[in-house]
Amino acid sequence: MTTPYFDEEEFTTRFDGRTILRILGQVKPHRQRIVCFVLMVAVVSVLDSYFTFLSKRIIDEGIVASNPAALKSIVTQYGLLILVQAVAVFSFIYLVGVLGERVRYDLRQKMFDHLQDLSLSFYNRTPVGWIMSRVTSDAERVAQLVTWGLLDLTWGTINIATASFFMIKINWRLGLIVFTIIPILVITAAQFKKKIIVEFRKVRKINSKITASYNENITGVRVVKAFGREDRNMREFGELTSEMYRSGYRAAWLSALFLPTVQFISALALGGIVWYGGFQAIVGNMTVGGIQAFVSYVVFMIWPIQEMARVYAEMQHAVASAERIFSLIDAVPDVQDQPGAQDPDSIRGDILFEGVTFHYDDDDPVLEGFDLNVRQGETIALVGPTGGGKTTIINLLGRFFEPTKGRILIGGRDYKEMSLHAIQSRIGVVLQTPHLFSGTILENIRYGKLDATDEEIEQAARLSGAHDFIADLEKGYQEEVGEGGNLLSVGQKQLISLARAVLRKPEIFIMDEATSSVDTLTEALIQKGMENLMAGRTTFVIAHRLSTIRRADRILVIKNGKITEMGAHAELLRRRGHYYRLYTSQFRSQLEQEYQPFQAAAVAAA
Amino acid sequence: MTVPTSNDLRQTLSDKPLIGLYLLMRDYRLIYLTATLSLGVAAAARSGTYLLLGRLADKILGDEAAAGSLPLVALGFLGLAAVTGVFTFLSGTLAARTSEGVAQRLRDFMYDHIQRLTFSYHDQTRTGELIQRATSDIDAVRQFFADHAIGAGRILLLFVVNLAALLYLNWQLALYSIIVVPVTVLISYFFFQRVSKAYEAYQEQDAVLTNTLQENLTGVRVVKAFGRQSYEREKFDIVNWEKFTLGRRLLLMHALYWPSSDILTGGQMLAGFAIGAIMAINGEISVGEYMSYAGMLIWIVWPIRNLGRLIVQMSTGIVSFNRITEVIRQEREPLDEGDYISKDRPRGEIVFEDVSFAYERDSHVLQDINFRCEPGQIVALIGSTGSGKTTLANLLPRFYEYTAGSITLDGVELKRYPRNFLRGQIGVVEQEPFLFSRSIRENITYGVDRQVSEEEVIAAAEAAAIHDSIISFPNGYDTLVGEKGVTLSGGQKQRLAIARTLVKDPCMLILDDATSSVDVETETEIRAALERLMQGRTTFIIAHRIQSVMIADLIVVLDSGRIVQIGRHEELLGQEGIYRKIFDIQTRIEAELEKEIASVGQDTFLPYTANEERQDGILSYTANEE
Repeated sequence: MTTPYFDEEEFTTRFDGRTILRILGQVKPHRQRIVCFVLMVAVVSVLDSYFTFLSKRIIDEGIVASNPAALKSIVTQYGLLILVQAVAVFSFIYLVGVLGERVRYDLRQKMFDHLQDLSLSFYNRTPVGWIMSRVTSDAERVAQLVTWGLLDLTWGTINIATASFFMIKINWRLGLIVFTIIPILVITAAQFKKKIIVEFRKVRKINSKITASYNENITGVRVVKAFGREDRNMREFGELTSEMYRSGYRAAWLSALFLPTVQFISALALGGIVWYGGFQAIVGNMTVGGIQAFVSYVVFMIWPIQEMARVYAEMQHAVASAERIFSLIDAVPDVQDQPGAQDPDSIRGDILFEGVTFHYDDDDPVLEGFDLNVRQGETIALVGPTGGGKTTIINLLGRFFEPTKGRILIGGRDYKEMSLHAIQSRIGVVLQTPHLFSGTILENIRYGKLDATDEEIEQAARLSGAHDFIADLEKGYQEEVGEGGNLLSVGQKQLISLARAVLRKPEIFIMDEATSSVDTLTEALIQKGMENLMAGRTTFVIAHRLSTIRRADRILVIKNGKITEMGAHAELLRRRGHYYRLYTSQFRSQLEQEYQPFQAAAVAAA
Repeated sequence: MTVPTSNDLRQTLSDKPLIGLYLLMRDYRLIYLTATLSLGVAAAARSGTYLLLGRLADKILGDEAAAGSLPLVALGFLGLAAVTGVFTFLSGTLAARTSEGVAQRLRDFMYDHIQRLTFSYHDQTRTGELIQRATSDIDAVRQFFADHAIGAGRILLLFVVNLAALLYLNWQLALYSIIVVPVTVLISYFFFQRVSKAYEAYQEQDAVLTNTLQENLTGVRVVKAFGRQSYEREKFDIVNWEKFTLGRRLLLMHALYWPSSDILTGGQMLAGFAIGAIMAINGEISVGEYMSYAGMLIWIVWPIRNLGRLIVQMSTGIVSFNRITEVIRQEREPLDEGDYISKDRPRGEIVFEDVSFAYERDSHVLQDINFRCEPGQIVALIGSTGSGKTTLANLLPRFYEYTAGSITLDGVELKRYPRNFLRGQIGVVEQEPFLFSRSIRENITYGVDRQVSEEEVIAAAEAAAIHDSIISFPNGYDTLVGEKGVTLSGGQKQRLAIARTLVKDPCMLILDDATSSVDVETETEIRAALERLMQGRTTFIIAHRIQSVMIADLIVVLDSGRIVQIGRHEELLGQEGIYRKIFDIQTRIEAELEKEIASVGQDTFLPYTANEERQDGILSYTANEE
């Protein structure tokens, strides 16, 4: 999986109008909120500029005119407006913030929804980490853009517009001088922000390398020590941290240069104000307060400009994020219901693989021209080397993949004519590594049948041999299994995943037997549980255990996508072929595990 | 390359975190001080701008004759702006040099420190925890220097400088202007304390959400197999909605804090304006003085709102620093301590005499271990789980230090050999080998600090029976191992580990009997590869299966940390004891297998008997393959 497609934060396109429209489409349901917060921000922004104008009036109409009454009325007005602004600030923070959370929520929900529909092939070629970043950080970035980004943009634009209005009002000639500075400021600021963002991305990249390096060196510390690699590792790591220093320093250096540069440019305007404005004041075209107001407007103008520059720079990233989100949402599931798909009441019947070919990539077939006829109720054991195609066969049977060529018939009809639900709700699957979800044991078993009563669950647990160990737990069925079930032993997890399948009462049972060893008692329980499950059902097992293999009606040795040997246990054993070697080796290792000669002998001697 | 003493952060340890942080800044203290003082200069220049504005209003604007000095005043403004700019920039870069420098120092030291901590420490410590300290905690310390400490310094300096300038203008006015400042600081401090808690809750929910998502994605096969898509959707929706709710609560707090602090601060400022204006009307101060005052007032009042935030953030930085120093305090394993280094390759004669080992005082893991082995011999250690066989093997490379008795290598006490020398002479092949996410070639040459020729790499891979698999990958030897590259099967990993050890060419070996859970085919290949590896090397096998011990020159049977039987296979078979019992079980298994095969009938020949196995040991498997 080294395709650049999965590289983080890669830009595919420049600004794309359609993407932006689609982003806006995401917030369409909340347009009332948007209108409200834009209004509120506008109030705040206009007041920000107006306060400066009021300060001017304090000087001109109050102090210079020596008019305490005017002063009093201006101050009162000022005070009231501070309260008004506070209310507006409260509203916009709350509105925009909640909207932001809401957009995040919506995006995550939408992606999660779609992810449930995507086929296994999508998951096979897409790293989990990649999907996770889409749902977490990309959703975050898009939400930021449509909320705080929009807010900063509104605030900045209105702030500059109203400041300009007041400046023109105070002295239009001087106002024009200041305006010449604005585009220079905007362009400089935007360029800076772009560069700074690029540097920070570099920092983040190196940072994740550093974390990976720590992770590897800590998990592999025993190997590091055994090979005496400490010094060389340190040298390699030192290069990484030096790189980190350079990037981090450069990013900070640019950030440190940014404000002073922008401030100095605006100081040029300040010089102009003092020179020309001072002259105007002397000839009486301008008041002292007017000069004060101009100075304030220019000094504080850098804030809206800085914010707008930031939004502009981040917009590109947010658009790229949005593109990735949309690419996920637009991904079409490979396996879907065909038009007119039906749900027969049962999928019992013979299963027929007819010339089935399957490949993940175009050139490399995993299975080729595979034929197999399975009678209803038969138990099929699949054995053979890893990568031979066993897993593919059961994935095709469960219709998690569909054949590239050929057909699979269940009860005489092509299974593509049935709905996915019809098939998948009637099969029971037990995977090699049992996957449990955080929550209680009860919840995990209930996963097999959501409306099952507690009694049904207990019965399923009994049938699968899980009940005894559960009953011994302190909280019984209410015991938490931990993340991924890691509070339970491997054997216990297997028992629960069996119970889950038992509860389902499937018509076809698919099992990928675990290779990992469990203690003898648990093993016996698992065997018993499996027997209960297999009884009367068509069963496909990727078999590792002797008892399972022996119990099968037919054993298929799968190698390189083909059946190399097929038959019953005794028959195959007599053939002295591949199966014979597999079986004898498996026999030894399993019996060794069962007898545990080392433990047993130690106990016997004691 | 050991850590240069200048970067030995163990010297910076102190009981008081602030002193620790100060010590950590060695070489950067002057720089950081300059960074802080630069902010003072910048603040002063900014105040100068307002004072100049006041003078402009008082002295020049009313006076037509003074118009000629306007350009000069304009230049003055520009000059002051330049001074502000230069010093702000200076402060920013100097602070960055300090924070990045300190962070690099911490990262380097922690990395090296962690890989030199003892085995026992790593046995007890969780990876995630160490990583967190080495990454996010270090970053918190970096931010402490880069943003928080200097930001708090900036606010304080702005306050002090502007207040001084106000006092110079009119001390009464100055005092009126800061009445609510302490209130603002306190409120903001308490507010941000609470916010940081609410934020934590929000972040925790984020972790829950991430976990739920991850569980769903990794368990996608189960979800699909059970057709539980809509159930999963609902589950996710609950978690997702909870995050939305917590986010809304956090926002409500912000939405309440900012406007109320706006009212407080804005009110203070307006009151300042009013008092100043009245004083100006009464002629106590001039118009120009009022203008200077109004300008500077803003820089005193508004930044204060952020002081509480910075103080809270600084305290989290200090907590992070404490967590880092906890790791730094841990004792290292001295790698080059020891006075005996032989120029020649050790022969590999090993003698254990009354060796004991205990993690803690009383609980002995190993006791009274005595045996000797000649160069090139194979020693098999067998016993049940917890019998001490792995620990015994781990004493050889001094992963653990034996606590009593003596172990000699070629007649020299093991403790006299420096650890790094010893480890260079011993190869370890683990049961589940750890490979690094580098190319296959780099993994094979991982253990040696020299240029390894392509021929040598290939030769090692061939001897380890992995060459053919490697060249079947699209990128051959340059294929990356792990998440970003190929996923190797258990057998392939083991063979790669064997190749890696072959390149290292040690004179002694420790093998964790490494053939469980692999295919029959690969098992044969691995056994053959292992045999090539063991040739001419003193080998300790940590055995889990009887097959691996039969070829041993010496079998050491351990039980509860003591040797209960010792000898060759034939000798031990002749004795009453654990070994014979193990062997009996083994024979029984073979007998059962024979019976089973016989039961299916039609025996043309039986290519495999227990007797044969007794003679050939490991090789017997090879004999069965065509």
